Amino acid sequence: MVLTAAKPRKMWGVTDQPSGNLYVPMIAVIEDIIDETPDTKTFRLAFEDKNYAKSFSFEPGQFVEVTVFGAGEAPIGFASSPLEKSFFELTVVARGKVTQAMHKLKKGGQVGIRGPLGNCWPLEEIKGNDILVVSGGCGLAPLRPAILQILANREEYGEFWLLYGARTPADLDFKYDLEKWKQREDMHLLQTVDIGCDEWDCDVGVVTVLLDKIKVNAKKTVALTCGPPIMIKFVTISLLRTGFSEDRIVTSLERYMKCGVGKCGHCCVNHVYLCTEGPVFTYQQMRSLPELKL
Amino acid sequence: MKTTDALILKKSDALMFFASVASKMRLIAPKRFFGGDVMFDVIESPKDIVWEYGHDIYPPKRFLLPHYEDMFRYKTGKSVEVEGGIEAPMQAIVGIRSCDVTAIRFQERFFSNPIVDPYYKARLDNTVLFSLVCGKPPRKECFCMCCDAGPYLDAGFDVQLTDLGDRFLVEIGNDKGREACAPGAYMLGKAQPKDFAERKQIELQADSLFETQAYIAKAINYISNNDVPEEVWEEIAETCFRCGACTNLCPVCTCYTVDEIKLADGSYVRSRSWDSCQFAGFTREASGYNPRPTPGSRILRRFYHKASYPYIVRDGRHGCVGCGRCVFTCLADLGVPTVIKRLRRAMPKYFEPQEKAAEV
Amino acid sequence: MDQILTTCGLCSCGCAMYVRQEGGRISGVSPSAHHPVSTARLCIKGWNALPALLGEERLRTPLIRKGKHLEPTSWKEAIAYTASSLRQCHPKEIGIIGSGKLTNEECYSLAKFARSIIKTPNVDSGSRFADASATGALLATIGTSASQVDLNTIAHAGSMLIVGANVMEQLPHIGSRILDAIENGCQIVVLDPRDSKLAPLASTYIHPEPGTDLLWMRALLRAILDLKLCTDSSTELLGFEELRNSLESIGPGQLAVDTEVVKEAAETIAHNPPLVVMFGLGVMQQANSSEIVKALANIATLLGGSIVPLRGQANAQGASEMGMAHDFLPGYGMLSDPTSRKFWGIVWDCELADEVGMSAVDMIQSGDLKAMMIFGENVALSAPNSKATSAALEKLDFLAVADLYMTETAKLADIVFPACSFLEKDGTFTNIERRAQCVRRVLEPIGESRSDLDIMADIAAELGTNMQRDPKKVLNEIATGVTLYRGISYEKAGESWGYQVPLNGVIPKLIPVSAVDVPEQDDAYPLKLVSSRAIFPQHTGSVACRSSVLAREYPETYAELGEADAEKLGLRAGALIKISSKSGTLTRRLLLSDSVRRGCIHVPHYFGGDSPNALASYECDPESGVPIYKGLSVKVEAVK
Repeated sequence: MVLTAAKPRKMWGVTDQPSGNLYVPMIAVIEDIIDETPDTKTFRLAFEDKNYAKSFSFEPGQFVEVTVFGAGEAPIGFASSPLEKSFFELTVVARGKVTQAMHKLKKGGQVGIRGPLGNCWPLEEIKGNDILVVSGGCGLAPLRPAILQILANREEYGEFWLLYGARTPADLDFKYDLEKWKQREDMHLLQTVDIGCDEWDCDVGVVTVLLDKIKVNAKKTVALTCGPPIMIKFVTISLLRTGFSEDRIVTSLERYMKCGVGKCGHCCVNHVYLCTEGPVFTYQQMRSLPELKL
Repeated sequence: MKTTDALILKKSDALMFFASVASKMRLIAPKRFFGGDVMFDVIESPKDIVWEYGHDIYPPKRFLLPHYEDMFRYKTGKSVEVEGGIEAPMQAIVGIRSCDVTAIRFQERFFSNPIVDPYYKARLDNTVLFSLVCGKPPRKECFCMCCDAGPYLDAGFDVQLTDLGDRFLVEIGNDKGREACAPGAYMLGKAQPKDFAERKQIELQADSLFETQAYIAKAINYISNNDVPEEVWEEIAETCFRCGACTNLCPVCTCYTVDEIKLADGSYVRSRSWDSCQFAGFTREASGYNPRPTPGSRILRRFYHKASYPYIVRDGRHGCVGCGRCVFTCLADLGVPTVIKRLRRAMPKYFEPQEKAAEV
Repeated sequence: MDQILTTCGLCSCGCAMYVRQEGGRISGVSPSAHHPVSTARLCIKGWNALPALLGEERLRTPLIRKGKHLEPTSWKEAIAYTASSLRQCHPKEIGIIGSGKLTNEECYSLAKFARSIIKTPNVDSGSRFADASATGALLATIGTSASQVDLNTIAHAGSMLIVGANVMEQLPHIGSRILDAIENGCQIVVLDPRDSKLAPLASTYIHPEPGTDLLWMRALLRAILDLKLCTDSSTELLGFEELRNSLESIGPGQLAVDTEVVKEAAETIAHNPPLVVMFGLGVMQQANSSEIVKALANIATLLGGSIVPLRGQANAQGASEMGMAHDFLPGYGMLSDPTSRKFWGIVWDCELADEVGMSAVDMIQSGDLKAMMIFGENVALSAPNSKATSAALEKLDFLAVADLYMTETAKLADIVFPACSFLEKDGTFTNIERRAQCVRRVLEPIGESRSDLDIMADIAAELGTNMQRDPKKVLNEIATGVTLYRGISYEKAGESWGYQVPLNGVIPKLIPVSAVDVPEQDDAYPLKLVSSRAIFPQHTGSVACRSSVLAREYPETYAELGEADAEKLGLRAGALIKISSKSGTLTRRLLLSDSVRRGCIHVPHYFGGDSPNALASYECDPESGVPIYKGLSVKVEAVK
């Protein structure tokens, strides 16, 4: 059976309309802010409306449109475990107008949330396979819910590799998780940085270098990858060379987004609206989009 | 055409009839402005309806998807308060043509699948279209025949009018149309076979008068097969002034941008306004990366959306209704027919067929 | 809720547009189909930039300087303070600068305000920093300072000579007519040190070394005469022999000119009538700009063609004709002419001296002024040598600035008046085709902003004189006094597509064009600056930068060098570089491009902040007083 990205169970505007208006967000409060790297923060959020919070759920790979009141809206992927019910986390890099404004918010501040949006990693469909997660920089955040869900259902999957790289040790996200995962016997964590430092005891080099250090059976492994476009490109080349079929490489694409509900047109790639039919795709699905020039 | 739903409205009763329609809703029709300019606008009296017009420079789509639209307001402070309703007045658009009706049906489908846009839906629910069959192409740039979107429709209209000289043939297309005609129904008589004969004559006459050709089917072919070399698109798009007029005036185009605007009283409004895939900034990300960095890649995008199989499958038809507005509003003559012509002329020059190997 | 038909004020094309507003914000815009310029089309600024005129940072109240800060104050206080500050100066110590973005009524009133109420001869326009060099030269040759042809005539040209103009981006509607003309076989000769958007359209593209346009034009004139390409009638025009004689001297700099290419160009434009000659800021801001314009006018006249000065700002043409200049009275009356002085003295009830006051440049650099009032011109960026200019403005005892936003100039002021945009007032703009068109109020002035006309009238009233505030009545006064505008009225301009200022039917003269030496290359500043302006910013960009659409198109600025030059300097693409001249320094990120000539660095204008004008000195074209902004000697190095 050919693997494709999974359709989510819940999607804002399709399965529910809690605010009554597709474009009006629900209010969430910032419960905590964690500094991941000099330009990245993780915001721990909880909905003001406790009933809504109870009924709210998402799947790994989905995202929300965050309203920073006064600045605008930006799409941010979920970064926490979907099994966690009392809060959800968003990891935000301060790059544009909205994300920079978000970084100025403090604990107790209010944001607007429209979600969950988008599709999800096919975690059900890939049960029984070995899992290879390859990620770089801020690309680990959209994969973290998948990693946590896999670890929570560990026996349903085979071998589990996580390859993660960043520019420098300071730029690694979720250092606290990486510490814990390093200790685990039931997963292989390999890390690398482009530029090392004295305390760094892992590899130095781009993350594709790590692929040469592991032995995977391409026929029974599924690769989940997310990170800078150039990293995804070279990882894909390497995996294909190793014998992965095109539908066993799954990635999360990124585009400028506005409405998040498939109307404004900004995230369109050929005939596909990334916000409703993506952002998760297999490489095989991506090959049917000429604009990607694959 | 169901003869049971066809009626006759005498021209001498037309003003009264539309006045009765106006008793329930505001009338929008082509209206005369300065110096011969005509635009669809709200009219005070049915006398203001301009039945024959040439280049209207503001498409009626703006009454369903406004050029600038406030979505909702909010006040910040200790706590955020969001407020906003959707303004959707009852309205009848009279004198709209088959191309624009086809485009509205297209937009309707787009804005309700798979997710419903509440603003468009609210407005369209309260809008009834009294479309007019074109007895001749309103302007020389029209090519609705190439796009199967006119000059008359067999289905998809609310109320279709045909000018038979001293009377209108009135075809009711659905319940919404029937309800809108109800206040003036007493003025409507039954249509006779001779009315249909005259109508047929007008249809055929209209068909014979078109000048602009678009060869859209060929374009769909080239574009869907990704056969058009990049150099062709870059050469064509070189002169584009990037004004966004084509997408603004296109009755099918729906892309918009959203801005957060601060008002004088310190509150904010989230407002959306027409955007265009022809702008470089349309796809530029905060990191600076732009997946469509060249004018050629953007004009390719526009034509992919207008003419490719995947979109036809998605939307039920291709994305051009042949209204001709992009032709007369472009500073660089890059309307749909011209671009397709230049495509066809450039293909033999640039396309290099790959020699097929004897074995794969 | 209604659509208001008004004239766009974002460039001199003067398109007619229907604008809708709701709650003080733009809710719709669309072009007029029947207007002879817009023809159902607008450009990127017309379609998208109007909301930027009404942005959230619009000045809403007057501001007064208290120490380091500008604080809100009342109109009463601001006007009173202005009047009392002015009273403390001798009239000749006061200077007033207006802008080509003001309406005709405001420009005329500014000249009147300065000369008859403030009683200073120091009144000038922002055009002094841009297109004023076209005026004197064209009046001396073709007898009119404006374009001789309509845009739609340009579409039927047989050939064009376009010098120093990024016309496809600066005046899109003219660009559109150029495309039409090419469809009909028009041959285009372009001179520009940089490949602009005209490059793929031109039959001949010449890249002169910056600052040598005069050499090329003289060579072209020589070729036309030597090859006997001029029309028969032109040989009989006044000045033919003097012109021919003036071309005989050939200086050493002439080696920069490729005579074969010149001959080819001459034949192209002579054998494909009708010829349209166009020139932009590349000429008007160059050394010896007046001479170059005269040469271009001569070329047009010899070949029976017409000439179009590509003035950019919405009312640059009108500002010139309304006498908002230190060296002219309205309608180009000369200050040296006693009849002119007497006439305007009567109309304005004042004594006018035979005295040409300070130009805008002199007002800044002389250091002799105590007070200045600036209406709508962002002098801190549009004047040369931004560093010295800002210092000079700060040194004034009193500076009042009227503008829409807190511009770089307003930041230096003692009093800032909130002015309103062309969407908030009535008046007329004269476009590049000499069409004086109605500007109509679309919405009430934002906050407490007032029109520049009202601001002048407020100050005048405080000083004890009543000035006409009603723009329609001001236009009537213009109609009685300015011959070119005789017969105009707001109603008349509104009846049709504007009132087109007639061409007087003056027979063109030929004017001798002197040889000028090309200055020596300064080894310390080995590169030449080529500046340009893309379609996105208007003027200094203080309005355009507030349009989210335009800002999105042009998110950051840059400088461009050719690969060979970059390699020679050891610079890589993406490097941060410092560009300096004797007057100033700019920092830019470097891009490599083969559209820039060897030995040149291309620095486009951006949305405010700083401007390539910072690199210019106060050296001006001697005849017109327009500073030299083009072909400046600069050096480039990496930022450490």
